Amino acid sequence: MNEQTRPNLESLTDNFLMGKVKAGEVDKMGLLYERHKKRLFGFFYRMNGSVSLSEDLVQNVFERMLKYRHTFTGQGSFVAWMFTTARNVNYDYHKKRQRQQTEREWSTMEYKMEANDDIEGSMEGNEDKHLLKLALDRLGGEKREVLVLSKLRELKFSEVGQILGCSEGAAKVKAHRALKDLRTIFMQLQTQ
Amino acid sequence: MERERFEQMAIDYFREALAETDKQELELFLKEHPDHAMELEQLRDVWAQMDAMVVPETSEEMDARFFGFLNTEVEKTQKVAKKPTAGFLDVLGSLWRPRWAYGFLLLAVGVAAGYFLGPKEEPQSLEPLVADTNETEEVREQLVLTLLDQPSANKRLQAVTEATKMNKATESVIEALFATLNKDPNVNVRLAAVESLSRYVENPLVRMGLIQSITQQESPLVQIALADLMVALQEEESVNSMRQLLKKPNLDTTVSKKIKESINQII
Repeated sequence: MNEQTRPNLESLTDNFLMGKVKAGEVDKMGLLYERHKKRLFGFFYRMNGSVSLSEDLVQNVFERMLKYRHTFTGQGSFVAWMFTTARNVNYDYHKKRQRQQTEREWSTMEYKMEANDDIEGSMEGNEDKHLLKLALDRLGGEKREVLVLSKLRELKFSEVGQILGCSEGAAKVKAHRALKDLRTIFMQLQTQ
Repeated sequence: MERERFEQMAIDYFREALAETDKQELELFLKEHPDHAMELEQLRDVWAQMDAMVVPETSEEMDARFFGFLNTEVEKTQKVAKKPTAGFLDVLGSLWRPRWAYGFLLLAVGVAAGYFLGPKEEPQSLEPLVADTNETEEVREQLVLTLLDQPSANKRLQAVTEATKMNKATESVIEALFATLNKDPNVNVRLAAVESLSRYVENPLVRMGLIQSITQQESPLVQIALADLMVALQEEESVNSMRQLLKKPNLDTTVSKKIKESINQII
């Protein structure tokens, strides 16, 4: 690529592209999708354990970001804004599902089985991985969420705090305690 | 050290984000508090095991659905952008009512006088507009190059569509389109690449590349598309390539007939 055609790096940042989307260049969302679809999918998959549901929720995030693009100020990082949207999408999905659940209490394992994604099958031969997955499912939405977000290297902890609506220090404490609870459940499952 | 401070430092330690001074402080604390040291070790194991959880790949359907949605949204935005023009024309139309005719005539005379009698200056506001257009083109170029590199045929097709929207393709995009035309495993993507490259046939290198591509194609559809393009361009230098194609032992009979017709139309 010669000097004339070399793109200005500033013009390729997430915030710049989202700014363009906000200004009406909706097609720029395509590049943001390519950049972030995998980590968003990973977030939903770790939260819910279903491939088809996670793909639906990734789509919902981009639809929502486009719908509410006017709310993007560009002051914080795009990734933090995106994960805040992802968190809301996940919360809304479960809230709606809980409303629909009339006969028995909803559990994440149920829709995983409905979605027929064969999570357990993929865990065969690796008991610890399977038990850890089960422990994560039993941990509860909020604790699971803080751990999944803490694992994302793209996010600074100040951004994790921003997404969770608390300070950086409080987010770290939450993550530590969630990890401790996860270990307790994991150990209980191992002894059963 | 307070309990909360330890908990915060432990998370930074797991994320390998602990500053050197904090690390020393933590190590000192752990030496004096073996129970905390044990807790840290135990939790570090669980933290590490979380990394081993495999996340599956996303499907092509997810991409197809997203880009389908995005295309619809782009079209909607374009329609909305056109509306103000129509509204403006409506307003102009209403001005043609007789009661406004006199006032409008006076306004037109005033504008004309201002235009012809006013000082002549070069327009200065074009520069930012040109810069903005260039910026958009650069982003589009990146989008094209990124999407062309994807394993999904849908995305590569999207890339070729994006390339046709560019006002002027850069060398990198032309090269990438030729790589797609000659090597892409999907026929639809290769056909789209022919169409996209046909926009730049005024460039002799593009014409030469298209001619050379004729002998590399195995798909009858792409062979016919290239032959049609050569006839449209009346490109005499393509005759040799087409004759070479005719020598291929497994050449489709319809293609063979089409190529012979095309050669006759060019000579």
